[in-house]
Amino acid sequence: MKTVEVVVLIILILALALLITVGFEHIMPSTAVRPPAEFYLYATYNPYKLREYTVMSPEAVTAIVWDFRGLDTLFETSVFYLALIAGLALTRRLLSERAEKPGHGLSLIVKTVTRITAPMIIVVGASIALHGHLTPGGGFQGGSVIAVLPMVIIVVFSVSFLIMRGFTTSKMIIMRSLGLFGIGLTAIALFLVSLIQGTHAYVFQNMIKPDAQTSMPIYIAGALISGTLWFFNLFEMFAVAAGFSIAFIVLMLARTLQVEER
Amino acid sequence: MISVLETPIILRVIGSALLCLGAFAALVSAIGFHRFKNFYLRLHAATIGSIWGSVYPLVGSAILAITVEELGVYRWFVAGASIVAAFIVLILAPAGSHALARGVHKAKVARVKPCIADKLDPELCG
Repeated sequence: MKTVEVVVLIILILALALLITVGFEHIMPSTAVRPPAEFYLYATYNPYKLREYTVMSPEAVTAIVWDFRGLDTLFETSVFYLALIAGLALTRRLLSERAEKPGHGLSLIVKTVTRITAPMIIVVGASIALHGHLTPGGGFQGGSVIAVLPMVIIVVFSVSFLIMRGFTTSKMIIMRSLGLFGIGLTAIALFLVSLIQGTHAYVFQNMIKPDAQTSMPIYIAGALISGTLWFFNLFEMFAVAAGFSIAFIVLMLARTLQVEER
Repeated sequence: MISVLETPIILRVIGSALLCLGAFAALVSAIGFHRFKNFYLRLHAATIGSIWGSVYPLVGSAILAITVEELGVYRWFVAGASIVAAFIVLILAPAGSHALARGVHKAKVARVKPCIADKLDPELCG
C-alpha cells in the first residue's frame, strides 16, 4: 500500500511539474488589458482630459464599485441588511439578551492579549475602510475586519460579557441603520443640493457630468477624498461592522441556549 | 566616531543571521512536528515554527531594510511594519497555542502520552 501511495504522489508531482512547464504560456494571464478595463483605468483618475467622466480616485476597484456601478453596490448592501433582518425575525423572542453575570471565558493570558490587540483590530479596519479610495480595500472589507473584534470577544470572554458592555443587537441594528441612512443620504446629497440651488443633478452623482455641473468636494483640507467614495466607505464600514456583529451575537446566543438545554 | 548606520555591514550580518536563525527554526519545527509523539508536543513544535520562525526573520528583515539606502525614507516604513508585525506575532502566537492546548486538555480530547506526570488532570496521563 505504501509503495502505491509514494508512486501516486511522485506521479502527481511530476504531472504538476509538466503542467507548469508546458502550460506556462497558457496559465499566465496576458498582460494586454481588455477595452472596458482600459476605459476604466483611463477614466478613474483623469482630471486633465476626462474631467466630466472621472471619479478622481486612484483606486480603480473602489471607483467602479461605488461610482461607475454604485447602484448595484447599494442594492448589495440592502440585500445584506434584509438577510440580517430575516435572521433577527426568525429568532425573535427565542433569544433573550439578559445582562447576567459573564461566563468564565478563556484564561487570563488570552484575555490580556485580546485587550492589547483589540484597538489594533479597529485601527486596521478603519485604515482599510477610510483609505478605500487610495489603496485596495473599502468599506465592506474594513467593516469585516472590525467585525472580527466582537467575534474574538465572544470567543475569549463570553456573549454575556459583550451584552453587558452594551453591545446588544438592538443597539447594533441602530448603528447599522445609521450607516445605511448615511449611504442613502450620500447617494442623494448632490441631488438635494442642486434642488435647492435650482440646477439639476443625478442621483448617485459624484463628480461633474456634461449636463450636471454640481460636484462633491474632491479634497477636504488638502486630503484627497474622491467625493462620495470616502463617505460611502465610512458609512459602509459602520453598517457592515454592526451587521456582522449582529450575526455573531445571534449565532452565539443560540449556541449558548443549546448548551443550556442540554 | 562611527555611527551604526554608517557601517551597514554589521547590521547586514546581524539581519542575515536572524533570517538564517528563522530558517533553522522552521526546519527544527518541521522535524519536531513530524517526530513528536502526542498533540501537546506537536503543538510545541508548531509554535517553534510560528514564533521563532517568524519573529526573528521579521526583525532581521527590518534590520536589513534599514541598511538599504536606495529605498530612501521608505526603508523606515518597511522596518516599522516588520517590527510591528513581529510584535503582534510575538504576543498572539503564544496566546493562541496556549488557548488551543488548554482547551484540548480541558475537553479531554488528547491524552498525554508518553506521560511522566500530569498535575492538572491525572486521568489524562498515559
